[in-house]
Amino acid sequence: MKKPKKSKSARRYSLLDRLAVLRPRLSAFMLDWASWGYVVYGVMYLLNKYWYLRYVNFYGRLTLPAWGWPVVILATFELAMLSHAFGQSIGLNLFGLKLLGSEYAPPRMSQRLRRYVALHLKLFLQPLALFGDRPLGMLLHDGERAGCMFQVAKIKDDLPPEKPRKWYLTYRGLCVAGLLGLTFWLGWKITAINLQMLVDRVGKSGHIWHDLVTPSFTYLTESVNERGHLYSITYYMMETIFMAFFATVSGAIVAFPLSFLGARNIMGFNAVGWLIYTLMRTVFNALRSIESILMAVLFAVWVGFGNPFAGALALFFHTIAALGKLYSEQVEAVDPGPLEAIAATGARRWQVVIYGVIPQIIPSYLAFTLYRWDINIRMATVIALVGGGGIGTLLFYFKNEVGRLDDAWNQVGAVIVAIVIIVWILDYISARVREKIG
Amino acid sequence: MKEKYYAGFMTERPNWRKARRAFLKDVSVLVTDVLILVSLWWLGSYIWNDLVHQTRDFLSVPWWIMVVSVIELALMWQSFGLSPGMKLLGRRLVDEQNGSWWVSLGRRSLRVLLLHVMPALLLQVILTTRYIPWHDRLLGFRSASAAEIDEIRVPWYRCSSAVAVILLGLAMYLASALFTHVDLVKLFTNASSTSEIWNKIFHPDWSILGLGIRLLIVTLFMAFMATLFGVVVAVPLSFFAARNLAHGIVGRSIYTALRVIMSIIRSIQPFIWAIIFVVWVRTGASAFAGALALFVHSVADLTKLYSERLESIDPGPVEAIRATGAGRLQVILYGVVPQIINPYLSFTIYRWDINVRMATIIGLVGGGGIGQRLLQLTRNWVWDQAIVLMLLIMFAVMVMDYSSSRLRERLN
Repeated sequence: MKKPKKSKSARRYSLLDRLAVLRPRLSAFMLDWASWGYVVYGVMYLLNKYWYLRYVNFYGRLTLPAWGWPVVILATFELAMLSHAFGQSIGLNLFGLKLLGSEYAPPRMSQRLRRYVALHLKLFLQPLALFGDRPLGMLLHDGERAGCMFQVAKIKDDLPPEKPRKWYLTYRGLCVAGLLGLTFWLGWKITAINLQMLVDRVGKSGHIWHDLVTPSFTYLTESVNERGHLYSITYYMMETIFMAFFATVSGAIVAFPLSFLGARNIMGFNAVGWLIYTLMRTVFNALRSIESILMAVLFAVWVGFGNPFAGALALFFHTIAALGKLYSEQVEAVDPGPLEAIAATGARRWQVVIYGVIPQIIPSYLAFTLYRWDINIRMATVIALVGGGGIGTLLFYFKNEVGRLDDAWNQVGAVIVAIVIIVWILDYISARVREKIG
Repeated sequence: MKEKYYAGFMTERPNWRKARRAFLKDVSVLVTDVLILVSLWWLGSYIWNDLVHQTRDFLSVPWWIMVVSVIELALMWQSFGLSPGMKLLGRRLVDEQNGSWWVSLGRRSLRVLLLHVMPALLLQVILTTRYIPWHDRLLGFRSASAAEIDEIRVPWYRCSSAVAVILLGLAMYLASALFTHVDLVKLFTNASSTSEIWNKIFHPDWSILGLGIRLLIVTLFMAFMATLFGVVVAVPLSFFAARNLAHGIVGRSIYTALRVIMSIIRSIQPFIWAIIFVVWVRTGASAFAGALALFVHSVADLTKLYSERLESIDPGPVEAIRATGAGRLQVILYGVVPQIINPYLSFTIYRWDINVRMATIIGLVGGGGIGQRLLQLTRNWVWDQAIVLMLLIMFAVMVMDYSSSRLRERLN
């Protein structure tokens, strides 16, 4: 039997409500902390690079004494709190928060100072605010004297109009500019950009460009070398297209049923459904974030190096994940009207799916599949690098023969021309068909 | 009472352009049909050879037999039914004499015969205005575009062209399975060859984590620099690569040249660019080469995305600002830029996402970053360390994916 609800409900807001309020504030603080940590990392790196005059390897190994780490952590923490109290920090801005005094006026300096101190004092008591009885959105250090943190979206209409200021006069603008500048400087050093070398070696790479734009098509059609290996650009072109086709079609066939399991509006009716939904989405996301060329490394060991089946398998698994995600998002976006109409006739769940959902999603499924074929073709041209077969087999073969064959770069040029042609044709066809469908 | 003309009588001013377009349409229908039938033939013979003779060959008959029979088949299909080319390009054969299908059967077979003779009278096509070739005119047919006639819509699976589509799909799938040496037996019997890898994958060696993180930082910076420089170059280029902003012969030729070059660059994977740049800038760790490769590809891709967005801007504000007497630069600054700033940012974030993905694997060809070490580790069979790097890559890609989709959501 259900418990009768307490008539004297002291707590107006549930724990989840309070967590929802706390979350953006916590995320904003973490982001600020991380960005200050990043600034310290960058400064340390550049100091190592310039000041110590010692060779720092290209990964930018940080040299810091053992006691330095706690200091850095504390210092960045302080800096994050300072930027929270004295100005609109990046984190606050990104998560839509604003520190305001009474009557939504900008906080006074004394309020900002009080807030900074209060943040120290009440930092560890903050979780208690989840269980207290204060109004929603007010944490322990929020108040009349230290200003309150507001979610901009909620008080947008009541905010007094702000006078626009130039970006370089705002704390936020300066922070973003400084971070961008630091990142640029760091990037220049870390990726070891060396324009001098680029210019100096133009002469040395000149013959490569010359050879690449004068491709030699000796291996255009069936031709076998003295070791009995097949070097035919046409054959490998077909292999590439078919490899991608096989992976795409098989992947689409597998992803089609899985996409319904990964759609919230189909599965989210009971606990088991939610479990399956979460599981499917996790698998899709995890599998999708491994590039197919990395999977091909494993499959090349499994079914043989240079076997197009290895490449097809790698593309197949990546396609399942990618299409599964796209498909299930599409299922979630269907118009619920026809579904309800069919459900109202007393149809079962699977009947609703077949007669309500599938007719709505077929065109976009086709478009996604074609798009995927396009991507798979692009990937299939280079998957041979790790032994996945396809036209890349020739590309990397000739590239490795650069010292031994006179016309190696010309052959590479011919293969590149073939790749461009394949990609163009498929691009054109898929664009035309998608246009027609969508 | 209206005077009756025979079909094709010249009642209006000659319209050469319309006639030429209709003629070209019919020719392309034939070409499409022939292409589809040829690929069916090829795939069929390939599958037959592979399954029956265990050889990998396409054609088992002289080529002219294939050509002749395919053309015959296409002509018959076009006369008796709805051929796949007609379906795809939206052409229909209209019976002007309005007989039932059975009545027109004889005329349809005559049409097939006449089609062998009448193309010799191509000149007629050029001279007539209402384009109706002789064979159709004599037999009371007319070829029209599907849009201008109202026909009874039949479901796609009841068209005769559906047969071709289904057959072609099945044949391609079967041929692709044969072509890629799909061998499910091998997949299971050979599984033991990877047992050592699986064993190591589930016992990762975390000692490489520190190095992996440093390599990941290099990789992220590679992607960042490539994107940043890519944007810097692609934004001005996109203004020259937009059709609606290209005026005059010079503008048009710059537009065409840019589009062609960018399309070539874009269709070559960053991997292949990295191969070239690794030779060009032979640095120790060649993160520079990887960044350059990504940069080149980003420029091409971003220019395409940006300029397509530019082509679809609303001309209203531009006209309004031009009407106030503003110069070309001012029009772009106040009329165009406010419309494109958000999509541009969104495309840039999207591209950064792709660049991070690519940067993690561009090391495979020596482009530096985490991928280079990963390939070394897998080549040296150190899978327990390789899996740590793979997990790092997965983590970075997932974080990037999530944050970039959230950011783009906010921008839209």
